[in-house]
Amino acid sequence: MSRDLMTPLARLSAYAAGQPIDRLPCVPIVGNTAARVVGARVGEFRGDGRLIAEAQVASYRLFNYDIIRIFTDLYTQAEAMGATVNYPEDETAYLAAPAVSDLSGIERLRPADPLKDGNLPHHLEAMRRAVDAVGAEVAVTGAVTCPFTNASFLVGAENLARLMMKDKAAVHRLCEISLETSLSYCEAILDAGCTPSLTDAMSSMSVIGPRQFREFSYPYLKRLIDYIHGRGKGVTLHICGKTSGIWEAMVEAGADCLSLDNDASILDAKLAVGDRVRLMGNVKPSEIMLQGTVDEVRRATLDCVAQGGDNPKGFIVASGCSLPTETPFANIHAMLDAVREAGWPVKPQVL
Amino acid sequence: MSDIKEKLFQELSDAVVDMDEDKAVAVSKGVVALGIDAYQAIEHGLSAGMERAGVLFDEEEYFIPELLMCSDAMYAGMDVLKPHLRLDGVAEKHKVVIGVVEGDTHDIGKNLVKIMLETSGFEVTDLGRDIPPARFVEKAKEIGAKIIALSTLMTTTMDGMASVIRQLNDEGIRDRFKVIVGGGPLSQGFADRIGADGYAVNAADAIRLARSLVAVEADVAVAAGLGAAA
Repeated sequence: MSRDLMTPLARLSAYAAGQPIDRLPCVPIVGNTAARVVGARVGEFRGDGRLIAEAQVASYRLFNYDIIRIFTDLYTQAEAMGATVNYPEDETAYLAAPAVSDLSGIERLRPADPLKDGNLPHHLEAMRRAVDAVGAEVAVTGAVTCPFTNASFLVGAENLARLMMKDKAAVHRLCEISLETSLSYCEAILDAGCTPSLTDAMSSMSVIGPRQFREFSYPYLKRLIDYIHGRGKGVTLHICGKTSGIWEAMVEAGADCLSLDNDASILDAKLAVGDRVRLMGNVKPSEIMLQGTVDEVRRATLDCVAQGGDNPKGFIVASGCSLPTETPFANIHAMLDAVREAGWPVKPQVL
Repeated sequence: MSDIKEKLFQELSDAVVDMDEDKAVAVSKGVVALGIDAYQAIEHGLSAGMERAGVLFDEEEYFIPELLMCSDAMYAGMDVLKPHLRLDGVAEKHKVVIGVVEGDTHDIGKNLVKIMLETSGFEVTDLGRDIPPARFVEKAKEIGAKIIALSTLMTTTMDGMASVIRQLNDEGIRDRFKVIVGGGPLSQGFADRIGADGYAVNAADAIRLARSLVAVEADVAVAAGLGAAA
């Protein structure tokens, strides 16, 4: 396959300016798969910013995708606020217990200090190191869990769902204090020369309805995005699962790029909001990227290009969500290769 | 069905759909006071309401918060009615063992499936979350379950599902159980590959799947001249 002719940064800025590019930007969202690139166990990422950076930079150099995202799991902010996270030796960390078990605990919650609490300082170190190593050629982003999703880790997803119906003020308190943590974490990320990348798993329509999104998630999301815009950076917002009913709200909240999961249609999103935001997505992370053949990856990737390649505000060919740790390298290469094959302008005969 | 019974069953159903725990309790007490059959009140009242809530979920009128509140109302009514069930009149229920596989603690999906299975007349043993494969097998044997239902939201834990099936094979008891799987990263292809009996894309689908699997078994039993199992 032909080699890339541009660096990711040059490609993204030319693409944004409407100038010629060698291929569409492409981001297989590599998280803990990066451990496999350097032969590390996932659990070793805990508390080791140097290793996270080394793995993420090595992964970027191996696959040549267009955005590096420093990410290990969704729980770093919640952990820094008191949630208990389990770290298996060689698998993705998971939430063992929320920060508080009852309503009275909510009053005792405090926003995290990203320079001191939990693993946040290590993630910031990873971001600084990655920026130092390759920031001149590729965008380095740091994953930030959005306030509503973080709130669900503070009190437990089911508790939060019931509070939404029974005690709205409690939900707003949880989101407000989560926002405070998100804001100071974003500030530290931006100070590290990195760009926040927002992820809001629980705001999905697979969990809450569009009206609930407006009421409980949107206000905090908007304030977070306003802050990042104020620091001169664009915002990519990822929400997992079904999202069609909240695309408008995601755009209104200020997102510059919507990262969509495979339960959403890129084609529909293009028609609905593609004149206002860039889109990113949505090759199936598990069914295709983890379990599919190289040829299935190629076909799924070209199908995404066919749906979103002509999006008015631009398109990044991506996986629908973070890749599973054991995603075969050949499939990640195949995704990039398919985007190279499609070229730019996209060759219609390839699709 | 007499008018008063019909009216009370409708009120129970409405209490569930309206997420009204207090009303579900009050009407259930009324049912008991009038000596109306508790089993019928659960089936035609509370469970019927939960099924309506499930339809609203499918139609994206209700989401997970509403569904949880509906189930709270249903269980509140059940707590009142259950002591008044006349056990002899009730057909034995198909037993299900359900849980989230080891390494994953996301259990909203599993909890919804459990609620809907109970609503649909299955007897569900919930092992909880972060459950090692051997526990599923052990519990299924112990209670004589027909179905083992495995859930995960994480790709890292999918292999645990295959382990359950491997263990059933190793013990030579695979044909005693139907194994169904569900959760975000899964697909029909994955279910086929690990040799599961079925894959459900959501809670409503899981019910259809569970019902069809026990129905198939009953048909086979009839064909074999053994009489229906249920």
